[in-house]
This record gives sequence, structure tokens and C-alpha cells, in this order.
Amino acid sequence: MDGGWQHLDYFAFVALFCIGLYVVLAKSNLVKKLLGLNIMETSVFAFIVTSGMVDGGTAPVVGPGIDAPFASPLPHALILTGIVVAVSITALALALIVEIKRQCGTIEADELKGAE
Amino acid sequence: MRRLLTALALAIVGAVMLAGLAGLPRPGDPAAPVHTHVAAHIVAHGVEDTGSRNLVTAVLLAYRAYDTFGEVVVIFAALAAVMVVLAPAAAPPPGKTAPPPSPAPAVAPSPVVGFVIRLLAPFIAAFAALVLWHGEALPGGGFQAGVILGALLVLLSVVMGRGLEQPLVPAAAARWLQAAGPLAFAAAMLIGLAGAGAVLGLPAEPAWGRHAVLLLLELGIGLGGAAIILGLYLQMRGH
Repeated sequence: MDGGWQHLDYFAFVALFCIGLYVVLAKSNLVKKLLGLNIMETSVFAFIVTSGMVDGGTAPVVGPGIDAPFASPLPHALILTGIVVAVSITALALALIVEIKRQCGTIEADELKGAE
Repeated sequence: MRRLLTALALAIVGAVMLAGLAGLPRPGDPAAPVHTHVAAHIVAHGVEDTGSRNLVTAVLLAYRAYDTFGEVVVIFAALAAVMVVLAPAAAPPPGKTAPPPSPAPAVAPSPVVGFVIRLLAPFIAAFAALVLWHGEALPGGGFQAGVILGALLVLLSVVMGRGLEQPLVPAAAARWLQAAGPLAFAAAMLIGLAGAGAVLGLPAEPAWGRHAVLLLLELGIGLGGAAIILGLYLQMRGH
């Protein structure tokens, strides 16, 4: 509401997401597309983790002498799940790319369209 | 034409996201919904509910244990799928003109790299153990420890030149280690059913029981994660 300057952190994630989306859309190489997908995932992770932050807060680990406000633990746990799923997606996609290269001899999406 | 469409798609997505951001509370606002509903309850009662001082671990292994169970199954399924896709039997059909796969060049890492990795290996392993063991009291946990240990195993595989034929971990043991995460969750489900009357519940009577279950889950996730990362690497390297 204050001219949007307080959302500056969030704007960075929008920019990162758009960079990843650009790579996915504009590049023909399948590995580059996968990298773009990873950039998009990273921007979402950073966005959600940032939303759990609190002014002057610390990591949500309770202990003696730690009395400050805690960052919300929920986004952290959710994003941990998301990261694991992202790793799984990356691994499976890389395996598929290896197989595509072996079967068709190329990993360029443009050439694949003409190959079949 | 394609560039125009790409730019258009980017502009639309960016505009929608920016418009959505305008309605969000600013980052760090203590009154934001993310801090006031479930999170407030977890921060207030998490330690007595689960016995874990790390609230992220409490959410991951107690409040949302089903979620984590699904996560462990997902990464296990990813390894299984990669093994199926890259099965050695899937040779290219003879009609295709695919170039024969060039044999992986036997790159001997420089002696310096090899020595440094061998020197650091025990310390990396000790760090992984610390991250795993203190996952309920310090920032850390099973997944993080699994990634550190998995990276160490991959590094050592590179240095020692171990491939699919001579894996670092014997194949018979690797099978069980790769399934360690789901197996640990199965055990925790049985323990919870017997001790707390609920699947994945934490037994309340012995004070150490809850810690034992959490540690079991962390161990399963950590060892399973490391074995799966090594397995993925070996599968990819085999080609």
C-alpha cells in the first residue's frame, strides 16, 4: 500500500520466475528448458520461505534463552517437501533426456519435431 | 512471431503476479496470516506436543507426517522411474541411425582433487551425522543430512572411479538403503498404532519414545536420501 516499496523482495521473485519462464519458452535445448524450470521452482521456494519471515525473528528452534519472535515454521516444512519433489522431477527429466538422446540422437526440441 | 508470443506470455504472467503481490501483507509483518493461525499454535505448543525443539522438524515429522511420508515415497519412486527409463536393456533399435554411445572417457581426477576429497571425507561424514543427530534441537534434519551424505558418496564415487559395475555401496545393501525412508515410515506407523492408537502418532508414555520415533524417521530419511542420490548418480553415469 505504501507505494509498493515494502514488497521489493517479492518483486525479485517475480523477476526470477519470469527469467525461468523465458528460458523454458525460448530455448529449444531440453536441458536448458529443465534449467529454466528449476529457476522457476527456486523463485517459488524463495517466495514462500520469505513469506514466513517476521521482523526481528529467528529460526524456529525453541531453546533456553531464545525468546525472540520465531519465523513461521510452516512455510519451511512445506518448501522442504517442494524441494524434494523438485529434485525428483529433475532426476526423472534428466533420465528421460538421456533416453531421448539415445533414441533420437538429439535433444533440441525443434529437431525432435521434425525427426518423428 | 515466436518471440512475440513469448514476450506476450511473459508480460501477462508477470502482470498477474505483480497484481497479486499488491494484495499481500508486506514481508515480515507480524500480523500476517502466515503467523497468526496454525503457526501460532505450533510455536506455542509444538515442543510439548512433539518433544522436538526444532519446530520445522515438529511440523515435518509430527504435525504433517503424512505429507513427509508422501515426499519420501515420491523420491523413492523417482529413483525407481529413473532405473526403469535408463535400464540397460533399452538399446536403440537397429533401424535408427543413433550414433553409438561413446564410452565415458576415463577421466582420472587430478591427484590434488582426489587427495583433498579423501582428506575431507571423514569431516563431511561427521557433519552429516551432526546435522542428522541434532535435527530436533538445531537447524537440520534428515533431508539435509541425506543430501550432505549423498554428495559425499557421489564425490567419493568420482574420485575412486566406481561406476555401476563396482558401486561404492554393495548392491544388496543399496536396495534396502534406498528403501530406508518408506521402511522407516512403515515402522513408525506400526509403533504409532501400538503406542499411541493412531497411525504415525507419537507414543506418550516413555519420555524417550517420542525421541526414538523421530530419530528413526530422521535416520530413515537421511540414509534413504543419501542412497537414492548415489543411485541416481550411478544410473546417470552408467550412460
